[in-house]
Amino acid sequence: MAGAAPRVDCLAGFRCPAGRLAAGRPRVLGLGAEVFLSTGSELVYAYDRQARQPSAVYEFPGQVWHLELLAPRQALYVLCARKGVYFVPLDTPSRSVSHAGGTIEDDELPPGVTAVGPDACLFPDATLCAFTLLDDLLVTMAQGTATWKMQLFERPCPGPDPRPGAQIGEVVFPAGPPSARDPGEPPAMHFLPVLCCVSPPNSRAPQSHLPGPGGFTLQSALFGLLFGADAALLESPVVLCGLPDGQLCCMVLKTLVNLREAPGDPRALVRILHHLEEPVVFIGALRTEPQAQEAVGQGLLGEDTHANCVVALGHHGRMLAIKASRDEAGNLVPELREYRLPGPILCAACGGGGHVYHGTPSDLCVVDLAQGIAPEDRTQSGLPPLLCPASLSICSIVALSVSPGAPEEDTELLVLSARGRLMACHLARDPVAACPARMTAAQAGQKIRDLLSGIGSISERVFSLKKAVDQRNQALMCLHEALDVSCALLSRQGSPKPIACSTTITWSRQGLREELTATCRLENRGAHSLGPGWTWCLQVLSSAHAFELDTAGTTTTYTVPVHQLAPGAWREVTLSLGSGEDGTPELPVTVSCALFYSVREVVRGALAPPGSTEDPHCKACPPDLLPTRDGICLPLGEHTVDLLQCLRFPGLAAPGTQATRPTAPTADPVDTFLGACREQGSEPVGPTALRAKYLPPSVASARVSVELLRAALENVYTGVPLCCATLQWLLAENAVVDVVRARALSSVQGVAPDGADIRLSVHEVALTDLCPAGPIQAMEIQVESASLADVCRTHHAVIGRIQTMVVERAARGSSPPDLRVQCLRQMHTNHEALLREVQALRDRLSLEDEASSRTTAEQLLQVYQQLRSPSLVLL
Amino acid sequence: MSQAPLDSSSPRASCMDLWREKNDRLVRQTKQVTQDSDLLLRQQQLAQDALQGFRELLHSLQGLPAAISALPLELTVICNFITLKASHTQGFTEDQDQDIQHGLERVLEAQKQLGPRLECGLRELWDSVLHASSLLPELLPALHHLAGLQAALWLSTDHLGDLALLLQSLNGSQSGASEDLLLLLKTWSPPAEESDAPLTLQDARGLRDVLLTASALRQGLQELITGSLPRALSSLQEAASGLCSWPVLVQVYTALATCLRKMGSPQRALLYLVAALKGGSVWGPPLLEASRLYQQLGDTAAELKSLELLVDALSVTQNSEAPQLLIEVELLLPRPDPASPLYCGTQSQAKHLLASRCLQTGRAEDAAEHYLDLLALLLDGLEPRFSPLPCPPGPCMPEVFLEAAVALIQANRAQDALTVCEELLSRTSSLLPKMPWLWEDARNVAKEPINCPLWVSATYLLQGQAWVKLGDQKQAVSEYSRCLELLFRATPEDKEQGAASNSDQRCRPDAALQQLRLAALISRGLVWVASGQDTKALQDFLLSVQMCPGNRDASFHLLQTLRRLDRRNEATAFWWRLEAQTKLPPEDATWSLPLYLETCLNWIHPPDRETLLEEFRTSLLEPSDL
Repeated sequence: MAGAAPRVDCLAGFRCPAGRLAAGRPRVLGLGAEVFLSTGSELVYAYDRQARQPSAVYEFPGQVWHLELLAPRQALYVLCARKGVYFVPLDTPSRSVSHAGGTIEDDELPPGVTAVGPDACLFPDATLCAFTLLDDLLVTMAQGTATWKMQLFERPCPGPDPRPGAQIGEVVFPAGPPSARDPGEPPAMHFLPVLCCVSPPNSRAPQSHLPGPGGFTLQSALFGLLFGADAALLESPVVLCGLPDGQLCCMVLKTLVNLREAPGDPRALVRILHHLEEPVVFIGALRTEPQAQEAVGQGLLGEDTHANCVVALGHHGRMLAIKASRDEAGNLVPELREYRLPGPILCAACGGGGHVYHGTPSDLCVVDLAQGIAPEDRTQSGLPPLLCPASLSICSIVALSVSPGAPEEDTELLVLSARGRLMACHLARDPVAACPARMTAAQAGQKIRDLLSGIGSISERVFSLKKAVDQRNQALMCLHEALDVSCALLSRQGSPKPIACSTTITWSRQGLREELTATCRLENRGAHSLGPGWTWCLQVLSSAHAFELDTAGTTTTYTVPVHQLAPGAWREVTLSLGSGEDGTPELPVTVSCALFYSVREVVRGALAPPGSTEDPHCKACPPDLLPTRDGICLPLGEHTVDLLQCLRFPGLAAPGTQATRPTAPTADPVDTFLGACREQGSEPVGPTALRAKYLPPSVASARVSVELLRAALENVYTGVPLCCATLQWLLAENAVVDVVRARALSSVQGVAPDGADIRLSVHEVALTDLCPAGPIQAMEIQVESASLADVCRTHHAVIGRIQTMVVERAARGSSPPDLRVQCLRQMHTNHEALLREVQALRDRLSLEDEASSRTTAEQLLQVYQQLRSPSLVLL
Repeated sequence: MSQAPLDSSSPRASCMDLWREKNDRLVRQTKQVTQDSDLLLRQQQLAQDALQGFRELLHSLQGLPAAISALPLELTVICNFITLKASHTQGFTEDQDQDIQHGLERVLEAQKQLGPRLECGLRELWDSVLHASSLLPELLPALHHLAGLQAALWLSTDHLGDLALLLQSLNGSQSGASEDLLLLLKTWSPPAEESDAPLTLQDARGLRDVLLTASALRQGLQELITGSLPRALSSLQEAASGLCSWPVLVQVYTALATCLRKMGSPQRALLYLVAALKGGSVWGPPLLEASRLYQQLGDTAAELKSLELLVDALSVTQNSEAPQLLIEVELLLPRPDPASPLYCGTQSQAKHLLASRCLQTGRAEDAAEHYLDLLALLLDGLEPRFSPLPCPPGPCMPEVFLEAAVALIQANRAQDALTVCEELLSRTSSLLPKMPWLWEDARNVAKEPINCPLWVSATYLLQGQAWVKLGDQKQAVSEYSRCLELLFRATPEDKEQGAASNSDQRCRPDAALQQLRLAALISRGLVWVASGQDTKALQDFLLSVQMCPGNRDASFHLLQTLRRLDRRNEATAFWWRLEAQTKLPPEDATWSLPLYLETCLNWIHPPDRETLLEEFRTSLLEPSDL
């Protein structure tokens, strides 16, 4: 068991983009004393282990996705993202730029970097996403829309003028639906298919179809079982393909033909062996039994040295092993076994002795598929029922390869860490033999070097763990503060709220037109700052049109992310309230504010494993750990904007500041001009003017007893006549209140948002017949305008205020004076009769035709006017 | 936020000019690529670059709000992009559907008519676009061009109903008019492009002609397969009259020949085949068709000659010539499937056809040679060019081996046959005794486990036959016995299967197994007879008769042996039973046996069986009458 601590030798560090390397793309390949590696960027390095320095660097026009080395011919095949497959000959004795076919020298590059030009591109195809080599064949995999296309080419002859190899075969098959394991995964996460060549055993011509670096030769029984009698008889190589959707399928290469000549049925050509239900990241094969010593000694590659177990690993840790075994009747049956390993698996490799090495973000582990198999009983060799990964204590490995070496030597792994460090990792075959009792000086030096490397790798591990801890602390702090704020906001006690939201109304000029805007101000009065995760939500609910009786108003919601709001700081947002087509607001408008805290946003980052922010292949924590609810919502308050706040008073404006009468929002320059012309003429002819002339203005009034008003207003408006105080009180939230106060006005003439004039006056009246004790002094608030709609809105606003006042007053407990009940009852019945009449008229209105409905409407108007001037007084 | 229009029109105009220039430059560059096709690789790269250029240009154009003035250029760029993409990748994909849809939505957007139509299909979109744009003559050439590409796409994906409706709208005719695609295509005349229009890779009229030829050929092939021959003939003649390249014309002529052969005019068919062969570089389909024609005419020599030529023709690797970067007829044709008359398979398939025809017509020496060539091609050839799996009626690899061995034995090359058999055994030995297939569909589950013992036992049978030829009777008997052992070991399980599916008595592997047992028993009996051990022979013949009571070969051999042993009473009794059986309607043997098995059964078939049986009647019955 290779559980003993490995000897780690740090070879070199390579530049890695943005902190860490992503898994999936980087590759490491060892060839003798040379190591070829790509980090997923545009560069491919050749590293000389004897000289301990890079011997060559190649720069490709795109990100390098895959790398294959053709050992006997000393050539490198490289797949560039969205470009195609490139070919670079490795001319060892004089690896100069001129010799490298299709490479060009670029003066701007640092010395030693060879730029690979477009001429070296052998298979230009932007959709290629994987390839593999099989001695004289090249298999490529291209992705189409919902299909995969596998193509088989003759390998082009390398030379000064590389030509594309002739296409031999092709098959297009539909891609399955993406594996729906993790809906939270970002769509950008992109797995590539994994290809692997399998050679048939006892090939007559051993040189013709040698397995490439990623390929292997299978034992004949398993080969026949997996790929069928035809493949076994034809002795055809087979390509195993692991797809990102989890399918593991195989294609017998000799059955592939060109699509043009005689297309094959993809269902017959592509055979699905298994469905792993998660992206396949590795396919390999190994021998689970010890090799016969004599065969090894004689260097014979007999049946006994072929692999007898196919292994596939999924990204989330599912591992499949297939072996051929015999059932009770002696029939050959495939034995399939699935294992679960701790994922996510970033890279893997098969080693000798039934070992499978796999790297996860936190560790490099090894599992032993040969465990439990006695060397003497080689016929009864099943798969172990359970696998126990043994840790090698190296973390964040993104690429891994097992160096081919003599079997009796230690296993050497070449690994590339997420921080771009290339390491050689020696695993002692026999832990006892690996610890010599006495050391020579050289051994001691070696030992020290090993320890230093060990420290290096541990420090790397510490670094990544520390980063994870920091992230979690940060997230906990954020959650704590959020909890504090939420508690304070939700508590109903009279303590001042730590977060306040206030709204003010202003008219502002937007281009040609003037617009009503609300300025909302979020103020942090608490002790904690609001950090990321908080969102300020503003909801503007405008009332329905006056003539649309039963429809609800429109609602607009604005969300403002609160990036950072320190204690004492405030933020303002200005919203346009103009909801109508001409920009006039549908009053009254309600603005309600709330704070939203997204738990998911804060927690997701912290629960991800270290390095996952840069590395999309590290899956975030299992989705069930994340809160199911998205977050919490804390209401802050509500503000109603009514007509009284929106009135403008051009006549009262201080000279110079607001000299002109505000144009109606709809005002067109032409209209303005025409209006001006008309004013110069004797008779006003516009519809407004006509209405003003011929229609009597609508009037509505409300009466409030002086006592009530005085009690409510005397603290605030001392020393002011009551009628002036009442007007100031009504217009308290309007900008004009200063002028009203300064001039002590008791009646004002204003302009409504839609341009109609409104007159608002307050005067005192005495009501005699209501109270037996004598006349009641009351204030009559009168609203007068040519526009009925505006009268209604203003009246509604006035009544609303009085209602609030009365409710407050009732809370304080006061007794109304004696009233003459008879009189009150009379008024009440009057009103009820009126209401019934309104109801009847409305019903008629909706049933009747044009002509009679006009009279009904007139009646309705009259009744409404009666209702608006009540004889009732508010006490 | 700012919806302010670009105030001054001059920078926009210059921008449009720039983009237009880019389009023209890319078109010229692509056409240049097509002309000097010395370096295929370079050309592919250039095409890919041009494709990228068009894509970027399209992005820039579609970044602006849609405007009528910019639409002709935008639509032209879409057309060029689709044309180049489809011809470069040799096929249409869903992407192109989306490109067209986006283009159409932009047309509606420019006319402020893009309402809630977004979720409707491409067909409805075309309707509304053509309806909305009928008053905009400046848009029409580009729109018709795009419609042509849409038609090509629908033709290649078999959306013929949509296609007919689109053509009706293009022609301005009401629905309910002619549904005939060819007629609709003929009446469609895309408006001519103006001289100052942006350049296109392929103009709409050229596209129309390609569509016409392609749809005529498609329709003809379809009608040919469904069997409405006169209509197929007229469609194909329509296709032949259009302008098209030689390879396409060869296909049309071949299809015409097939049609005429089926209609019973072989001479006219021959004329078309000759014309096809004269013309082109594609010889496969016409040669295969010629062999079928000669087979129908009964001219075996000519048939085999055609097949030999076919093998030669398919051995020439077609140099991958540079594809024209245009929408061509080939692009719009369906992939030839085995049912199509244009399907000629691969070289090894042709070779197999030739070899099996030789075997069937009794030319054993030729058959043996061809089978050996085929095996060499399959096993040692560097180019894997055999596709045995896709067509279920074709033989699978073990059967090809067995046929080769049969041909060699027939050609008196027993030693070679033994070698072939050994090869087969060595390659399948690891799969014995059974090869259940876990992950396959029902078809293969049924096929593989029964067939694997079948193949191996057939191999033993052939080995025995080869030893007989070589004169080694001992070896022969041992091989036959191994064969029978394997066959009867498979019995119980197969019996269960047979009982389970009693309705499906004529299941092919069952029948083959039965016949194989018969052949093995009789062959072994014959060896016993030859070595003078008549009692042993009698046992085998009795068994064979028990197994297949109605089989006349088995009965004959049994009778013969009984007579030789001078067991007249038994012979007479058996004879009467046989007579009674022959009164019954003969069992109809509609199943087709594998070729190797049929040949084996021929070996145990005495050539003068009926006359000999007649002789029995007289010799057996007359003495009893006395």
